[in-house]
Amino acid sequence: MFKYVIRRVITSVALLILGSMLVFLLMRIIPGDPTITKLGGSIKDVDAQTVESIRSELGLDKSIPQQYLDWVSGILRGDFGASYFSQFSVTSLIEQRYGATLLLAFMAMVIGTLIAVPASVAGAIWQNRILGGVLSGFAAVGIAIPTFVIGIMLIIALGAELGLLPTQGYVSFRRDPFGSIESTLLPALTLGIGVAAATMRILRPSLVDVEHAPFVRTAKGKGLVRRQVVVRHELPNASIPAITAAGIIMAHLVGGAVIVEYVFARPGLGSLLVDSVYQRDYGVLQTLVLLAVAVFIVTSLVADIVLGFVDPRLRTQAVT
Amino acid sequence: MTTIAPKKALTDVVLDVRDLEVEIAIPHRPVIRPVRGVSFTVSAGQRVGIVGESGSGKSLTALALMRLLPPRARIAGGIAVLGDRDLTRIAEGKMAAMRGGRISIVYQDPMSSLNPIMTIGRQITEAITTHEPVGGRAARAQAIDVLADVGLPQPHRRIDDHPHQFSGGMRQRVMIAMAICTNPDVLIADEPTTALDVTTQARIMEMLAHIVEERRMGVLLITHDLGLASSFCDDVNVMYAGRIVESGPSRDVLRTPSHPYSAALLESICRLDSDVDKPIAAIAGQPPLPHQLPSGCPFHPRCRHARDMCAAEAPVRTTSTGREVECHFPLEQLPPR
Amino acid sequence: MTAIAPTVSGAFETGRSDSVIRRLLRRPAAAISAAVVAILLIATLAAPLVAPYSPTDLDYTHLFAPPSWSHPFGTDELGRDLVTRILYGGRTSIVMGVAATALAMLLGVTWGFTAALRQGWTDEMLMRLADMLMAMPVILIALVLVAAFGSSTPSMIIILGLLFSPATARIARSSLLGELRTDYYLSAVSVGATGRRILARELLPNTLPVLIARATIVLAEVIFVEASLSFVGLGVQPPSTSWGTLLQQGYANLYSSYWYPIFPGLVILVAVLALNTLGDNLQQVLDPSRT
Repeated sequence: MFKYVIRRVITSVALLILGSMLVFLLMRIIPGDPTITKLGGSIKDVDAQTVESIRSELGLDKSIPQQYLDWVSGILRGDFGASYFSQFSVTSLIEQRYGATLLLAFMAMVIGTLIAVPASVAGAIWQNRILGGVLSGFAAVGIAIPTFVIGIMLIIALGAELGLLPTQGYVSFRRDPFGSIESTLLPALTLGIGVAAATMRILRPSLVDVEHAPFVRTAKGKGLVRRQVVVRHELPNASIPAITAAGIIMAHLVGGAVIVEYVFARPGLGSLLVDSVYQRDYGVLQTLVLLAVAVFIVTSLVADIVLGFVDPRLRTQAVT
Repeated sequence: MTTIAPKKALTDVVLDVRDLEVEIAIPHRPVIRPVRGVSFTVSAGQRVGIVGESGSGKSLTALALMRLLPPRARIAGGIAVLGDRDLTRIAEGKMAAMRGGRISIVYQDPMSSLNPIMTIGRQITEAITTHEPVGGRAARAQAIDVLADVGLPQPHRRIDDHPHQFSGGMRQRVMIAMAICTNPDVLIADEPTTALDVTTQARIMEMLAHIVEERRMGVLLITHDLGLASSFCDDVNVMYAGRIVESGPSRDVLRTPSHPYSAALLESICRLDSDVDKPIAAIAGQPPLPHQLPSGCPFHPRCRHARDMCAAEAPVRTTSTGREVECHFPLEQLPPR
Repeated sequence: MTAIAPTVSGAFETGRSDSVIRRLLRRPAAAISAAVVAILLIATLAAPLVAPYSPTDLDYTHLFAPPSWSHPFGTDELGRDLVTRILYGGRTSIVMGVAATALAMLLGVTWGFTAALRQGWTDEMLMRLADMLMAMPVILIALVLVAAFGSSTPSMIIILGLLFSPATARIARSSLLGELRTDYYLSAVSVGATGRRILARELLPNTLPVLIARATIVLAEVIFVEASLSFVGLGVQPPSTSWGTLLQQGYANLYSSYWYPIFPGLVILVAVLALNTLGDNLQQVLDPSRT
């Protein structure tokens, strides 16, 4: 098991390095001069010397590999470099914003799992066509329905008309944990529906596959009742593909978070991303893209390790 | 219609199956009946075999007794009395308590019949705690004992291993341990050794014989291998197209088969002591499909001894010399070969 | 899989394509979604004929009017009829969507077919690249591309086209590889037909059904992403109108007039759901082994 984990960690670090290079290169390739952004959009009235000083301030006068190394060594020290647009450093911008996004993602994950797993299990225990149809319908609509539509509907249904829950903004968790969770409920529910649909779309077919596995017949032959067969034998085996697909579900979550934060006016990383695109702030943009890549790689790593615990076959394969 | 041989009536019958019928109803298709009135008994400590080609209905018979038929199939008639309960009628909740408790099954495929992500220990203790009011530790001790009984080396160490760490033969031993750990009255073994090589097969059957002897368990062996059945079982039932066409003590059936189908099955076995130059006889043609059964005797299109009457009329079961057979012209009446 | 694919696509090629359509329409979900797609396409493309008002009709006596018989979806901040605006906005969304889908198919098919035909090292590189791009959240890549290319209509088409080419490349590659393994390809080679000729005459037509199913799904995703980008103000720019910009303008007035964002939102949902369902069913009908 130890060897298995070590091997996965090394692969992930390598992927992360490769990913950072790609993100960095991508940001150099795309058109647009950051100096112009820094100067507020126009280069006409500025003399060459000012341009030059800004270029050296942003480190743009160095060679590309040198710039990359500077960037990476900064990141390792917790310094993500300068924003091309605002006066704040990227690090402080992210520090201000990450709380709202982290809580949103966590709560959405919890809500999504709390919907998807019991619903899929219920579908497997009571195999009737009506329940199956309802669950398939939910998964199909939940995948197709744009996040903003769910958000807007929830605001209208629960927030705007009834005034039950806050629909705008975010209360810092450190300042007021309860208020913070309350202000995150609607956005998390919005995002959680999509997460639930994405999870169910993987979990339900694999539960159906497992249902026909010979070991399920063995479990029935032992005298277990339907519920025990599903919970003890079918669900753990069926969850293997769902864990493998955690990366896909995470991608869904990250993509959705951008929109959800916009809908609910949350000051999170997603809205920071949208702002940085508006402002052509490549300093912030490249950091956020790198963060997303890192989140994806870490998710896959964690999923692999969890899989190693769930599925003993993987552990021994890795050792031998 | 069913007659029970006096010898069996005197013994301690644990499972009494009479006129069992299984139907499969698929929408927009005619209902088919792959098991058409099967009767046999199993006594304590007795080993009974059901032999037939694939499609003869033998596995469905086993699944019907466990009440684990596939979704579209159902028991359409007959009774199956285990102890004092009719397995075909009791409620699903009560049946669950019987399954694995009073009647157990070992399946054909040991490779995939064990849960791959659960230790074998937990899979066995699960069977024990489902049926007996024992704690986790006691169940574990019991599991180690039963693993030792089925001949798993170092059971106390291997109990926490996962299925993929065992060979096919060892996995089948684990499956048997799981099936017998609650001391059921009847153990159904559905092609238990088909997936294994010949040496392993022999060892497993030997171990199984030993165990059921010791625990006085009734065994129902489902197999396509008449040789295996007759060497293991006290009595064999030869099944064809959903009916038992011949039954009797295995030694007699093996030595002098009455039904032409039993004889053909016997001939198709390649025996070590047979003349090498003689071609191995396979039975011509295919077993009939349940939705297009031939008229009269279902075996007549493939039967070497068939006459006009065989196609016209279904044969009635007759009993002679301790043997039951469903044939118009049982082989004993023909001149000996 | 390879055993079934050629027979199905073979049937498609030999002019029995009507049987594919018939099999498709026998599925209730597919029939309904096909009807919905057809209605949406006709209604939006023929907007001037169908729409009850003109998109420039201002009505200052009915600003933010709630749904009524004369304005079923209500009116906007300038008193314009929302049914009309959604129909006209749909032209932008659909035309842009079809153009971007065409680009995605062109890029993706070239990409995938190159990988399949070259194989070896080229294949490996091209497919690794596709996998890497596919692993990233779509919205994230879209935003980076918007930062690079801006959000003019041609940029949007290029961005959306680029976005969905990697996944298309995967599908194009596997369907062509399936064809390359079939017996008739091997027999065509053995009777001396040249590679290029077989490719043009036999293989490409046979991969067409799979690609059509794929294009349907890409169109759904393109509409979805265009709406998302426009919604956060980084997609179609006013005064051009698309479903996404209508949604955005509606969202700005959400608390006073709930119907304004709801109807564009529902139309996007219906369009995406119908196209997705149609594409999924088409895929299942054409290639039952890959459900």
